[in-house]
Amino acid sequence: MAVPLAATTASNVMARIRKILQSFAGPIFAVVLAMVAGSIVIMVTTPGSLPDRLSGAVAAYQALLYGAFGSGQNLSFTLTTVTPLILASISVALTFRAKLFNIGAGGQLAMGGMTAGVIGFELPHAPGWVLIPLMIIGGIIAGAIWGGIAGFLKAWRGAHEVVTTIMLNWIAFFFTNYLINGPFQSLHTANQTDPIPTQATLPHISNFYNYTLGTFLPKIANPSLYFVDVGFFFSLLALVIYWFIISRTTFGYEVRVIGENPKAAHYAGIPIKRNIFLVMAIGGAFSGLAGALQLMGQFPYQLIANTFATQSTGFDAIGVALLGRTTSIGVFLASLLFGGLRQGGTYMQISAGVPGDIVYIMQALVLFSIAAEFLASIQRSLRRRSISRRAALSPSGLATAVAPLPDTLDERDLNNRGKDNGNVPEQIAPVRDKSGDTINRPPTEE
Amino acid sequence: MLFLQVLLRVLPSSDLWNATLQFGALLLLPALGGLISERSGIVNIAMEGMMLTGAYAGVMSALATQSVFGGLVGAMVAGGLMALVHAFVSINFKANQIVSGIAINLAALGLTNFLLFVQTGGQGVPSLKDSLRLPNVSLGPISHIPFIGPVFFQQNIIFYIAILILIGIQFMLFRTNIGLRIRAVGEHPQAADTAGVNVYLVRYSCVIASGILSGLAGAFLSLGIAGIFNSNMTDGVGFIALAAMIFGRYTPWSTGVACLIFGLGEALSIRLQDSHISPDLLSTIPYILTLIALVGLIGRTTPPAADGVPYYPGSE
Repeated sequence: MAVPLAATTASNVMARIRKILQSFAGPIFAVVLAMVAGSIVIMVTTPGSLPDRLSGAVAAYQALLYGAFGSGQNLSFTLTTVTPLILASISVALTFRAKLFNIGAGGQLAMGGMTAGVIGFELPHAPGWVLIPLMIIGGIIAGAIWGGIAGFLKAWRGAHEVVTTIMLNWIAFFFTNYLINGPFQSLHTANQTDPIPTQATLPHISNFYNYTLGTFLPKIANPSLYFVDVGFFFSLLALVIYWFIISRTTFGYEVRVIGENPKAAHYAGIPIKRNIFLVMAIGGAFSGLAGALQLMGQFPYQLIANTFATQSTGFDAIGVALLGRTTSIGVFLASLLFGGLRQGGTYMQISAGVPGDIVYIMQALVLFSIAAEFLASIQRSLRRRSISRRAALSPSGLATAVAPLPDTLDERDLNNRGKDNGNVPEQIAPVRDKSGDTINRPPTEE
Repeated sequence: MLFLQVLLRVLPSSDLWNATLQFGALLLLPALGGLISERSGIVNIAMEGMMLTGAYAGVMSALATQSVFGGLVGAMVAGGLMALVHAFVSINFKANQIVSGIAINLAALGLTNFLLFVQTGGQGVPSLKDSLRLPNVSLGPISHIPFIGPVFFQQNIIFYIAILILIGIQFMLFRTNIGLRIRAVGEHPQAADTAGVNVYLVRYSCVIASGILSGLAGAFLSLGIAGIFNSNMTDGVGFIALAAMIFGRYTPWSTGVACLIFGLGEALSIRLQDSHISPDLLSTIPYILTLIALVGLIGRTTPPAADGVPYYPGSE
């Protein structure tokens, strides 16, 4: 039974490529569907004749694309949105790996940002090299605590993490509002704090480059045009750390086992409760970092009441984590997409007159089609149709066509095999004969 | 000490308790909606979005038909349609119900803002005239009883409807065949299916009912309390309702009580705006209470057994 080595590796490689392509198909389909639906919405709401509507939609999408990635400045704007989004999405993706649902990224981000701010306000005269790491670490710890609470309640008290993180979100939003409107309110303006000390702000990448590499390489002209700050590098570093945690550490391995088969994890002696707590806390840490970096890297460098509650990063992150299939590279690409949509949407509203809020509708559609696995369903129903066509529209063939089939090949399917499938009684279910055609065998014939 | 002093001054006022009941009713409708949906086994965290859609559709259809009733119907239809999407995706496609709920909330926010911009050319809708608002109804002579009258019997018409719905749902869930079926489907759909209950039908009806109730609450907010539609005007009310439902342990009476408590918190936070007590801190109380309830310090909260689990016909 010696199989040539080369053949196996070749087929392995092919199988791997196929698998990767397949895993991309769902997300790409979701994005395309959202784009098409968005264009339909624009066409329906644009006045005028059909060509007018069509050109309206095209103009809107051109503006969206240009606003997102069209110029260096627009791209830099997009990247400022992408920085916290990547971090929050890592936080969601990490917990997804343990089959936990962290919808508290928004609250963890708020606590992280607030804590970083408080440290900055309390130490206004500390030098930057002390203050910056202190604020970042403070943000990380605050986020970790906020996520850790949900993890603790899940692990040791059995409280569902979805509900607890929703509650913790709103507690964080109102608590930060209290601090912003109360003890840390600016003396000059209501509903906001003062800016953090200038030495604690993160430099823009363009300025940073000009002062470091730019001293012996060509400098960037007009560095103040490009708004993205060095926080973006932190988010890239976080992606690497996330990849490392998941695929190169014992902890990551244990998390994946817990997610894929908690029973196996239990029998293998993996400390499930401790890991649930840790995974939520570490997830929270990433979100907390997002909050700190957002405050320190982005104009106006101050906290404003209600911004955390209305900022949709925590929910966007869920879409990003799902769209990116919880992988590092996927999270990066999906963050670029969602961040681009957000920035491009604003630009589209200004230049093409199409409300940027349509971006939310597109994101919702992306979520729907990933959660519902629309692509897989369509493929299945196509397969089913070809089967039912061969059944020559016999009553049983129709019954097969509408019978709900199990979605994924999991334990459930194995249990179902050979058993009553849905509402179709087994006796009249089509039975395939040797030629591959389906024939109808009434139970009386058996 | 200061807190107690202020509290003692505010508590006897009938305005405070009137507002408490008003907020309570506003929370009660989506909370009952969520309760019905979860009882049938479909997790619904999208009451916020369904309310927002209802609030928007209510104002728009009230303006279009020039009648409050038209607005009310529009709001309920819109809420029901959003719920239909949730039901379709969660029941037929077995999608993750939390993701679907988040998507509904995002879609509602995007859709209402988008349509508001398109339909009014970025102007926003004007305040509604009184004839297009849900009226306050004084219930004859009993509305003149001191304290009790203004608190209980000079409420918005939706308040009385909400109370009737609360009683109706309590009765339906625990005293009728339909209620038994709903609970069976939420606890053990396979068994219910075997007993001849149409699981899909029950779940569809319950999720759509949750959308209709949330839409009604949205109309209460826009056509009744505010008299205008503002972008994202629900501002987390749907999530407080979710908290109330969990705090009420998925039963109608207790959910009603939870809505009252949370309503009092909300009414207090408005009343105490100029005192030294932070309304923001008061606003955290519902969520903290719910967390405590979840942890099991005030008796444990357990959702229905099959809550959130897609049903595959024929599975074990």
